[in-house]
This record gives sequence, structure tokens and C-alpha cells, in this order.
Amino acid sequence: MKSLAVAQNVLRRIAHDPRTLVLIVVLPLFFVLLYGNSFSGSYKGLAIVIVNEDNGLASVRTAEVGRVTLDVDLAQSFVDELDPRMFDVVVSGDADAAIARVGQSSVWAALVFPKSFSNAVVNEAVRASGERRIELYGDTITLLPSDPVDGPRTVLVLDDSNPLVANAIRGALDAAFAHVLASQQSSLTVEGLLDVQALHEGSIRMLDFTAPGIIGFAMTLITVMLTAMSVVRERTSGTLTRILIAPISAWQVTVGYTFAFSVIGILQAAELFLASILLFGIRFVGSPGIVALIIVLFTIGLQGIATLISTLAKNEAQAMQLVLFLLIPSLMVSGVFWPLETMPATIRPLSYISPLTYANTGLREVMLAGGGFGEIRFELAILGMFAVVMLLLSVLSMRRQAYTA
Amino acid sequence: MPDSERVVLAEGLRKSFGGRTALDGLDLSITQGQLYGLAGPNGAGKTTLIRTLCGILRPDKGVATLLGWRMPSSRVRSQLGYMPQDFAVYDDLSVLQNLEFFGRLYELRRGQVRERADELLQLVQLADRKHQRVGTLSGGMRRRVSLAISLLHKPRLVFLDEPTAGVDPKLRRALWDDFNRLAEQDVTLVVTTHLVDEAQRCHVVGFLNAGRLLTQGTPHEILAETGTSNLDDAFIVLQERGQGREESRT
Repeated sequence: MKSLAVAQNVLRRIAHDPRTLVLIVVLPLFFVLLYGNSFSGSYKGLAIVIVNEDNGLASVRTAEVGRVTLDVDLAQSFVDELDPRMFDVVVSGDADAAIARVGQSSVWAALVFPKSFSNAVVNEAVRASGERRIELYGDTITLLPSDPVDGPRTVLVLDDSNPLVANAIRGALDAAFAHVLASQQSSLTVEGLLDVQALHEGSIRMLDFTAPGIIGFAMTLITVMLTAMSVVRERTSGTLTRILIAPISAWQVTVGYTFAFSVIGILQAAELFLASILLFGIRFVGSPGIVALIIVLFTIGLQGIATLISTLAKNEAQAMQLVLFLLIPSLMVSGVFWPLETMPATIRPLSYISPLTYANTGLREVMLAGGGFGEIRFELAILGMFAVVMLLLSVLSMRRQAYTA
Repeated sequence: MPDSERVVLAEGLRKSFGGRTALDGLDLSITQGQLYGLAGPNGAGKTTLIRTLCGILRPDKGVATLLGWRMPSSRVRSQLGYMPQDFAVYDDLSVLQNLEFFGRLYELRRGQVRERADELLQLVQLADRKHQRVGTLSGGMRRRVSLAISLLHKPRLVFLDEPTAGVDPKLRRALWDDFNRLAEQDVTLVVTTHLVDEAQRCHVVGFLNAGRLLTQGTPHEILAETGTSNLDDAFIVLQERGQGREESRT
């Protein structure tokens, strides 16, 4: 009976706390909706460049009329076979520029069809499978095997920094090739026609791919929770009021807080990186200085989020709930486990407003691909703006807290 | 009275929380070097008044002026001491570390803080606890640490919200003696207490009830006005008179 009294008391207190009540009801539903939507998305809008130099013609020996030229346009057939929802196909005429774009991470793959692609496929098909009869202008003719066709093969340059995406692209391209080869009734395999050049030569594991995001998330969770709890404790214990009555501005208090927690954030990041590298051999090929810059900007911004959370929370328990309410979704939508391209359009705006998206992308570029300032200038600019805006909002929030303490 | 002597001036202060009126058009005037006792039951509005005067709360109506500056103003902060009702100390730091931190906010040098800390810890009888973590001290001791912090920078005007709550009678008497000594040094002290009779030790007493000042004067004047022998009885008489007036008005 006494246990029942304790239970009733706990439930009654929760029922008297509308914010906690709302979080209890809304939080699980929110997570399920987000989880279901972000996981159920298939790959969409993967950017690839296709350089189609194929003239579409195949010169074949026949039993009846000697050599004939067939207009088969197999490279175009291949392009037509690609799923338009899965790929954002950019057509280019410059093979070098297309390949360079893969290196710059602006597209996932570049596919270069050589001038004689159709010719090579048709002749190799006949050579591999023997004579074949086809209809041509109402007559039936027999295609005969000829000498092997020498010439450049189709080149696929693939960004394999994300093993999941790389595998998906390979699968879809192989299927399109298989369809083209099937049209030639040939037992040819894709490997015989395709020269695959993986950017990282398959050295990036799923663990390497997810590590930057997981490290970023761990930092977010610890920093935001620590800061939010500290500010709430400072407010509820009355010390914040005491501080703000002293001759110190809200700005100075905020900078002090930010400095302290940035130091903690940097130390935490160093610990996370060292442990990941030493224990799991996580790939880290870029500059530690640039990584530190990303971490500092990110941490400053996180202080702001934490201070805003502390303004909304009446006590430490509410602060904790709000932190989880904000941060767990960020893990799902920030491209940590699966790329943004897999997310439905309804979820993507959340990805773009999540700072973890930019920290994750920047860290990944530096750690996995050795990217420099040039490659991550966009991410640095966004994180820089995030830091400045959040710092200003924290000052306002500190002022407000002084009057609501 | 010249304005230079009036260190606290409140005119028509009004403050509500939700539908509850905490200050109801309150006027108040306190002069330099006064030990002013703000007495009243729990919920009378004492803490709200102090927080409004200090600029922590913004009044819905009315004006508060401290040391000649309209509040909230950052110009008076260095001359203002404030001891909140809750302890408002860092439990995880030592007594001295607490004093050192707040000393830095008031731009005191390390040597000055150490010197002041020794004086103040003698005053609040915590000299032997200087290096002890505040979280391990009793409630009364923590309150004394809080008091020491509020006096650290030698403020001209000090607001003490229930400084003697939870303090044993001997130390309470010692603290009131110290408040009087500070007032003799021209420091103005505004001390709240819900133990109305305790206000007897003040130069001037203001009785606060339901966000209104029932009366203000020296303890002797208040006793004469109410024809009572102690401030507890005087408060009850004034409270009843106030209620009677309220009823006749409605």
C-alpha cells in the first residue's frame, strides 16, 4: 500500500507538470514518426555525371552482305534504363571535368562511355555467344564473330566514401548494364566492359563512414546536456541571479560559459578521436587543425542551444527531456548513418537545419578524404553563422533568465 | 529630505504573477545609513519587493530608484549587496573559493579578497571552515556564507532577504549587532524577516502585508501608534485595521 502511495505521488507530480506531460506524450510519437520516415526512404537524387562519347554505331561482319553498320545507341539505352528517381543525371561533354567533380564530392560517380562503346558491346557479344541472327530492314541477317575489339572501356569513377551509397550505385549501374547486354542476347558480363575506379579503393569501412557523425553526436549530447544542466542549476540555486546582480554583463557571463564548455568540448573531442583511432583504427587522413576548428564552431553553437533549452526548462529533469527531444532526432536526420539523399523530401528540411549535418559532412570530408578549407568552406560558413547566432541568442537568453530566476 | 540621502525610493510599485498581486502600488523611502527592517508574514511580498528594487524583477508599474539611479541600472551594481533567500552559493566549492569567485566579479584583487574573507568569516563565525566545501556545511552555515558574499565588496546598500532564518539565537543576536555596526559605518541595510518581532532591532521598520506597506516608522513610533507592547501585536492590530478599511471600502 505504501508503494502504491509512492507511485501515486510520483504520477500526481508528473500530472501537475504540463511540460513534462507534453514531452511524455509527444516524444515517443515524434520519434516513431521520424524514425519511420527517415528509415523507409530509398535512395533518391544521387547525383552522377554521364559523359556519353558513344557514337551509337556498331560495325559488324555478316554472313550475307559482308560488313554492315548498325545504329544501336547502347550508351543511350543504358542512360534510359537508369531509375530517374534514384539518380540526378548530369550530362557532360568533358570527361576530365566530370571525373574531377567526383573528387570534389559534388557528385557520387562519373561514368564515361567511350566513342566505340556500342561497337565494342555488339562485337564482343557476338564473339562471346557465337553467330546471331537479327532482323535488318525486313531481312534476316547473320552476325558473325570478328576479331576482338580493342579500345577504351567504359570508365566508372565512384566516390566510395559512403559504402552504402557506393554499393547502391554499383547495383543500379550493373542492373542497367545487364539490361543493355540482354538486348544483345549475350552472356557478356559487366566486368568485361566496365573499368571501375573507386576514389578510396574500397578502403573506407562503414565504421569509418559513421565515425565522424557519431563523434559529432556524442559531443553534442554531452556538451548540450552539461551546459543546459549547469545553467538550470545556476538559475534554480540562485547563483545566476547573484552573478547578474554583480557588475558583469550577460554578454561576459555567456562568453565565460562558452569558453569553459568549449575547452571541455575540445578535450572531449580529442578523447573521442583518440579512442576511435587507437581502438578501432578509424580513418583520419585530414588536418587535425581543421577538425579542431569545426569542433570549436560547433561547440560554441551548441552552448547557445543549451542556454536556450535552459531558458525553457523549469528544472534539470525538464532540461534533460528537452535535450533528448532535440538531439535524438538530429542523429536520425543528419546523415550520420545513411546519406541525406535517402531521406524523403518531407524530412530533408530538418536535415538542413540540423547543425550536426554540417559538422558531420565537414568532419567526414576532412577525416575520410583529407579535405582542406576549400572543400568544406560551405560547412565552415554555416557552422560559423550557427556559432555567432547562437552566441547572440544565448546572451539574450541569459538576460531573460536573470529576470525569471 | 534631500534626494542625496534617499538611497532607496519606490513609487507606486506594482507587480503581479499570473492573477496574484505581489506588490500593490507600494511607496517606500529609505535614507542613507538606515537599518531598515521589512517585516511581514510569508507571502506578504517582501522578496518580490527586494527583487524589484534590485532590478531582478521588472515592475508592472511604478519606479524604483537606488542610490539616485532608476532601476534596472548597471551603474549601481558595484555598490549593491544582495543576499537572496535561497543560499545562492556553490555547494561544490569551498567557502573561500565561493568568496574568491564573487570577489573577481566585483573586481577585487586576490589579496583584497583574502583580507575581506578573513574579516567576514570572523563576522559570520566561519573562520575555521574557510577551506571546507560549502555542500558539507549545515543550512545555517551556508546562509552565513551567503551573507559573507553579499558583504564582500563593501557595498553602500545591502539587501538581505531573511538573513537570520535557520540561524541559532546566539548567532542571530550577533548578526543583528553586526548589521547595526555596518549601519553606523553609513552602510544602508534593508533586512527582511517574517519574524516580526525581530525587526525591533532595526532603526526603521516597514510592515508589509498583501503587497502593501501597512506602516513605516521607528519601532517606538509603531508601538505608540498601535498602543501595543511588542511588534507582533502591533502588526496584528495594523493588519486588522487594514482589513477593516478594505471591507468598508467594498
